[in-house]
Amino acid sequence: MFDPKTKVLVVDDMSTMRKIVIKIVKDLGFTDIHEAADGNEAWKHISNSGETPFGLVISDWNMPNCTGLEFLKRIRSDQKVSKTPFILVTAEAEGHQVAEAVKAGVDQYVVKPFSRDSLRDKLEALHKKVSKAA
Amino acid sequence: MIDTNFINPFLAATLHVLKVQASIEAVPGKVVLKKDGDHLLGDVSGVIGLVCENFTGSVVISFPEKTFLNVMSGMLGEEYLELNKEILDGAGEITNMIFGQAKIVLNEKGYGIKTALPSVISGKGHTLSSLSKGPIIVVPFTSPAGEFFVEIFLSA
Repeated sequence: MFDPKTKVLVVDDMSTMRKIVIKIVKDLGFTDIHEAADGNEAWKHISNSGETPFGLVISDWNMPNCTGLEFLKRIRSDQKVSKTPFILVTAEAEGHQVAEAVKAGVDQYVVKPFSRDSLRDKLEALHKKVSKAA
Repeated sequence: MIDTNFINPFLAATLHVLKVQASIEAVPGKVVLKKDGDHLLGDVSGVIGLVCENFTGSVVISFPEKTFLNVMSGMLGEEYLELNKEILDGAGEITNMIFGQAKIVLNEKGYGIKTALPSVISGKGHTLSSLSKGPIIVVPFTSPAGEFFVEIFLSA
């Protein structure tokens, strides 16, 4: 699993869903958790992360101002942060949407509604992928 | 005439979302047509626009206050005894998840439903005017958390 000190960014326009995701990642041992309500706000966190970059982003897709997909593309196109592990947690799960997200460089995809165990499994799978690539 | 092919995915999605996200087993009641307008049946409602090639409308999940508090307690794993700003958008999130699940099934059948953002309306006896000029399909649900309603407003 990820180092519990990994800096995590949780992005969702619904505060209730941020609360649910944050509770799960806290239960999994993460301690350095930040939150944002849309892709623009999330990008500010990423670009102002200073010496400790974010090691994990868990983001919704369907948000006002800047969607999760736009935010993902922004991350992947910036060399400094392009390799940031990125999970989409979304109710958008039609085949063409999943394909679009994979094309944009998403690492894992969680469909809402989801259980604690399904998010944990995706985090474990993502950690294996990141470790292999390192 | 109620098109069950269209309604059933919303019923199945409602059951699935509440079970997975809030550990609540709900049971749908008899589908009814409501002709007299815009008065919603709950105190907290999540609303999402239904826009596709052949018609427009809205899907509303409407909770009496007590049911909503019980559902939020199930979703968030802590007890809520009164409504507050922090949990109100949970009605929007539930609506979003139900809509998303139903949209997958209906778009496979060619409905072409577009993505939309949910909103939340609350207050005793709140109304949703001008959502639809057509009939309103109402599905009552019972559950250990209390009763709640899925209302589908459609216009040609």
